[in-house]
Amino acid sequence: MRFILCFLIGCMPLCSVAQNDISISFHHQIHHQKLILNERSRISPQSDSVIITTLKYYISSIQLLWQGKTVFRESNSHHLLNIEESKSCTFPLHTPKNIHFDQMEFCVGIDSISNVSGALGGDLDPTLGMYWTWQSGYINFKLEGIHPKCPSRKNEFQFHIGGYQMPYYPLQEIKLSIPNKKQIDIYLQLEKLMANLDFKTQKSIMIPGKEAMDFSKRFTQMFSTAQ
Amino acid sequence: MRKGIIYIALFSFFALVSFTSTEPLFHVPSGWPKPSYDFSKNTLSQDKINIGRALFYSPILSKDNTISCASCHLSFTGFAHTDHDLSHGIDGKIGKRNAPALMNLAWGKTFMWDGRINHLDMQALAPISDSNEMNENIAHVVEKLNQSNLFKNLFYSAYRDSLITGERTLKCITQFMLTLVSANSKYDQVMRHEDTFSSQEKNGYLLFQKNCASCHTEPLFTNNQFANNGLQQDTVLLDNGRYAITHIASDSLTFKVPTLRNIEFTYPYMHDGRFKKLSQVLNHYTSIPQHASTLDSQLQKPIQLSANDKVDVISFLLTLTDKEFLYHPKFQYPKKLFSQSPNGL
Ligand code: HEC
Ligand code: HEC
Repeated sequence: MRFILCFLIGCMPLCSVAQNDISISFHHQIHHQKLILNERSRISPQSDSVIITTLKYYISSIQLLWQGKTVFRESNSHHLLNIEESKSCTFPLHTPKNIHFDQMEFCVGIDSISNVSGALGGDLDPTLGMYWTWQSGYINFKLEGIHPKCPSRKNEFQFHIGGYQMPYYPLQEIKLSIPNKKQIDIYLQLEKLMANLDFKTQKSIMIPGKEAMDFSKRFTQMFSTAQ
Repeated sequence: MRKGIIYIALFSFFALVSFTSTEPLFHVPSGWPKPSYDFSKNTLSQDKINIGRALFYSPILSKDNTISCASCHLSFTGFAHTDHDLSHGIDGKIGKRNAPALMNLAWGKTFMWDGRINHLDMQALAPISDSNEMNENIAHVVEKLNQSNLFKNLFYSAYRDSLITGERTLKCITQFMLTLVSANSKYDQVMRHEDTFSSQEKNGYLLFQKNCASCHTEPLFTNNQFANNGLQQDTVLLDNGRYAITHIASDSLTFKVPTLRNIEFTYPYMHDGRFKKLSQVLNHYTSIPQHASTLDSQLQKPIQLSANDKVDVISFLLTLTDKEFLYHPKFQYPKKLFSQSPNGL
């Protein structure tokens, strides 16, 4: 009898290990309208129109929480999202079955350990255009486009945000309350990232440093689960 | 006979390393520190080393297929660029710095004169992408490799699939560079009691230990740190060294301490190749102007060396020449491999 009990208890973890994928989708918007690359949008009703030509960034270290406790931590959690390839903006999380969660945590960017671990593969492969070459380090977030106020050639702006050495370590942690569902939709409102940016003076960030740090702080405001 | 003794003396580093022949692919010479490179993340194999060697010697890594790593790093001169103070790259464009010697890189912690590369795997990205050097990009290099029969076959035999990725390309180049170990100079033989210094060399060694070894530390002849050794900044290049990377004032005008192994052949010297002769280097060290604000504390008190002392130090430095390393066929242009497809193109 006791043996059977032990057997049953022993089996329980096996049952809960059964996988049950959750799908996460990131949606990119400006004022709740779908962002379309190479087309004009307005950051605010009074402002000039802006054209986004590139948006690529890393989401990493994804965790699900229930009442403040971590219930799932994705292993090798590095996802490169490139809005040019819509497939890259939806991916599964291989979670155990019957998992309960009410919150999600993730980082925008690549942690410092991965930054000093040499050549890596998959979404971290250096051929993907998200690794600096003149100096070591990943680009966490790449936003490029055109704004009429930019005093640069063809009015182009380029923000390449990255860095892994203190005090300029712009990895940002995002926490969101999420519904306990199989499909999780996360919305990025890009006007929040670009509001108050003075395109007249700020047209490019290409190196780690204070400017990149300040820019990265805007990430925390642009993610939400509300469409 | 001598070879036999060396191999017996070798450290038991073998566990980390796989074998395809009886000779280990990599070993830590006896008495040397543990390498900084984590071999468990990139296990050596002869096939991958061969790919790395082919990549190192193939101009396929450059935009117009003209420049290879070996254009600037020549095996016979310790992989330095002899006679060029500043390196020459694509279209004859001139770079900002002197190409350093490449050896014992498994013990390196950061790379480049200013340490801006944090891992040996990532080193090759810099010259590949530099518009003055190879002016390519790694994604396109991988595309070209995937179209090359030679490289597809080589990758297939190493990985059992012929998918060439950025990660694999970089790790293979690293594997070849890791094998560039120089540890059989006269100095090493003396340390192993297989040879003896002349009295001049011996005196030079003592003077070296007193004045130089705090930075050029044995057995690697570098402490892998950054220092300002008192060179006046070149007024055209305006190179601030490590400061450009860290933005820390005390790093201004500091450069990575280079190894002195094979120094006989790695001229011209210093980050901008300003000295052609070792005698000029020694004259510099005995006449350092004391104004530079970040001058290393060990050099604040002037080094005193007589003319004879200088000759002795140089005779010691010449004992760091390792002919076996400089002329080893396994480090040279892979003639046999490239016989079907010249230069791997
Ligand atoms: C155009 C000449 C040129 C080419 C081509 C070139 N290098 Fe270099 N290499 C240099 C120069 C110059 C430096 C030092 C640059 C600096 O410190 O800013 C250097 C530095 C290095 C270092 C750092 C050594 C140390 O101790 O810090 C390594 C390793 C290296 N190169 C490997 C390579 C490899 C691998 C390739 C081919 C993918 C290559 N190089 C192609 C000129 C070149
Ligand atoms: C405080 C640390 C320090 C001390 C002490 C020191 N060096 Fe250096 N040495 C360096 C640094 C740093 C460089 C590279 C400087 C540069 O290129 O800007 C260097 C470069 C050299 C080079 C050129 C190497 C090359 O490949 O270009 C030689 C040769 C050399 N040192 C020899 C000596 C000798 C001989 C002594 C003793 C008389 C000595 N050094 C003492 C730090 C030191």
